[in-house]
Amino acid sequence: MPPRLGSTRLTSKASSSSSTLTAAARPSTVACTQRQFSQTSSQQVTRRRREFYQWLNGPGRQLRKPLPNSTNYLGAWDKYGNLVRAPPTWERKTPEQLEKEEAEKAKAKAKAKADAIEKAKKEGEEGKAKTPAEEEKPDDLEASVRRDEEKAKAQEEQDPNYLPQESEEDLQPFPLNRYFRSQPVLSEALREEIYQRVTRDGATVSLASVEFGVSNERVGAVVRLKQLEKEWIAQGKQLAQPYAKAVLQMLPQTPFIDQSLPENKNTRPIPHEPINDLIVHPATRQQLFVPVAESRKFTREDAGKAFANDLLPADARIPHPELVQAEREIAEGLPRAQREQRAVERFQKEQAAKAAAEAAKKAEEARSRNVVPQRRWDYVFTDVSVERAGKDGRGVGGVGWRYGFPHEDRKKGQVKIPTKVDA
Amino acid sequence: MRKKPRYHSLKKLKIRQDWSRWTLYSIAKLTRPDTRTKTYFQQKWAAKSDTRAYHGEVIREKKWKRQFKRNIPAVVPMDHRYLARNDGSEQAAGRGAGADVEETKYAPQRTPYMQMTYYPIERRLDTAIFRALFSSSVRQARQFCVHGLVTVNGKKMVYPGYMLNPGDMFQVNTESVMFATGAQKSRSSTGRKVDAEKRAARADSWTNTTPTDAEPSIAELAAKSTRSEPTPTELKEHLQTLMSNVEEVLAAEVKAKDKQKFRSFRQEVKKAIALWKTASPETISTLDSQFDFLKARVAASSSDSPADSSAPTSLISPEDQLKLKQAFDRLKEKAQYDAAWNKRDASKPYATPWRPKDFMPAFAFIPRYLEVNQNICAAVYLRHPVARPGLAEVPTPFPFETSQLAFNWYLRRR
Repeated sequence: MPPRLGSTRLTSKASSSSSTLTAAARPSTVACTQRQFSQTSSQQVTRRRREFYQWLNGPGRQLRKPLPNSTNYLGAWDKYGNLVRAPPTWERKTPEQLEKEEAEKAKAKAKAKADAIEKAKKEGEEGKAKTPAEEEKPDDLEASVRRDEEKAKAQEEQDPNYLPQESEEDLQPFPLNRYFRSQPVLSEALREEIYQRVTRDGATVSLASVEFGVSNERVGAVVRLKQLEKEWIAQGKQLAQPYAKAVLQMLPQTPFIDQSLPENKNTRPIPHEPINDLIVHPATRQQLFVPVAESRKFTREDAGKAFANDLLPADARIPHPELVQAEREIAEGLPRAQREQRAVERFQKEQAAKAAAEAAKKAEEARSRNVVPQRRWDYVFTDVSVERAGKDGRGVGGVGWRYGFPHEDRKKGQVKIPTKVDA
Repeated sequence: MRKKPRYHSLKKLKIRQDWSRWTLYSIAKLTRPDTRTKTYFQQKWAAKSDTRAYHGEVIREKKWKRQFKRNIPAVVPMDHRYLARNDGSEQAAGRGAGADVEETKYAPQRTPYMQMTYYPIERRLDTAIFRALFSSSVRQARQFCVHGLVTVNGKKMVYPGYMLNPGDMFQVNTESVMFATGAQKSRSSTGRKVDAEKRAARADSWTNTTPTDAEPSIAELAAKSTRSEPTPTELKEHLQTLMSNVEEVLAAEVKAKDKQKFRSFRQEVKKAIALWKTASPETISTLDSQFDFLKARVAASSSDSPADSSAPTSLISPEDQLKLKQAFDRLKEKAQYDAAWNKRDASKPYATPWRPKDFMPAFAFIPRYLEVNQNICAAVYLRHPVARPGLAEVPTPFPFETSQLAFNWYLRRR
């Protein structure tokens, strides 16, 4: 049985406020408004469905397609389907329209540039007699550049279709959860730069991390993924280009600011994420009352000891303790050359310690492993301890068949999912 | 037997882990929990029911109960300047240390621990694939795993419940990702009929008239206009320059392995030159990128040994390189993307040219515990999700109150 619009309230709403498009798309509902005598038992269902489609064709319509040059989350729209951050003059354009406009803009820009060059040529011919002292000073040049930029910015703001940057609320995909927002991802350029810094320039991971404001783990991951991508290119495999392009346009991104370019001389690189995250230690979760004499200097180190004996202070537990050390030396007032020298010494010491530890590990492995080479296969003997099987003989470190204990891997409820995959 | 409830029901709006319009509608209609008319138990039950419909809906309740942890990981961002200039004693200093005036203390933002209730589920492989935007729902991600389209650290992983370890790299078949996230291929019965008629008409016209008489269609004209930039002769020239570059490189001293690669590459180029009439921009661009990659490798390996440092400089002169680059940047921007990567192709299981699924932008976010490379559809699970002041990394659509109630539900008897 076709659905029916019951109350007069809804009839008036459907006829007046709902868009003509909705009515046109589903003419049956309009036709049903007259059928007051319907015996349909579950009008609730039709009402819900109607409301669903009303929302989908009303406020929800804006979320169907990506917003050009912007993210498009539910949090950026109010419940009537208006973009909160947009000025009242703003209207949504299709990608084709935007492309056309941009092409026109580029044309106009090129024309203006050509005009400017011609003008400059003319002026140059006229002003050849001028002495070099009369020419524009670099400061003036910079000021003029800045003025031009400001002008362009003002023009952009006057543009009725100018869309300001997203605020934090606009980046909330879930409007009710204000503790989660879509955070920027690394842009393609920044990824490439990180990869180049590490592989070509031989920067250590922690150095690249500090330089780009990207956490240590992420630097490693970026290099690994980029390496794989390059291998794919070398093999001539097809990349998921259209997907990558579309997804990156939908996400907020951390841009790469190339400081070697003259226009970026005074801009700082944008840090991607906090790099010195201190993990909350379980021992510090409790509230602790420690009576301390006011005359005593109670430092972070003492506080750590109060919580747990082996708890180190925050300076030692953060991922970049070398930054703290460097900052301390600045506070001491050491000259730059000396600070640099000390940093190099520290770095070398650290590297040497790492190398020594690795060598010791290798030596230990070689000592405990005894390899007997054969014609085709090698016999490898490894030292094991019987105690590793544990008290009940079922420890994971135990080796070999243990008499009296059947394997349980065929038993019901035994989980076979691997817990780790070696890289 | 009781009828299984609908997955997407308008009667009971449940938010699911997918990019559907029902989910979007449910998120838009979500309200804060009703605390006035419901008892505490009812509130907790409702919260548990709603959140479990979203988080790990495929996991049985008993299993999830075992996975639940009451200790939630958190981090605090530290300022290294502050750590260097203060040793912490200033926070304990009172009147005895000379502090006379109560200073306004810096109040950090609250850490939303409760929003992290379901953090163990984010470790699952299927959920991570969904969070990395490689599938349009967790169920689909699960299917990808089971069908063997997912690798973890280069090895096939068929268990959707595999718990990722920090540093694990997972990779999904790119074609499957494009299928999962792309717009659906749709053709109505009328559309199919019209197409069949057109095809028949075309066949008739070909048999009746000579091809020279036939007027070029609009599509053909458009194709011509886009292809006008690289003419076949230009392409051939470019291939030949590439070829000569390769020969130069081979003449210079390089390692045997690299040489092998170059030789195979040269053969490919030769083949391409032979087929230059049918050469389209896409084959060239892949060759070009291949060559770039190989050249970079050679330059890197030769710079290690200072003896033959002249080799990389002799490869191509910088001017030529610049020219090559400029010529091909244009090609890459337009022709490669539109013609090669995203062309119309009826054999694909998704609508071509590829465009994102409807409502995808509303769900497109990548949490910080993943690092994703979209080009190869691979991602690295960096660490477990954490809470930090003002921010929780577990994506959950529910308000703080609901999550807290759900946490409390699982807290009992523990």
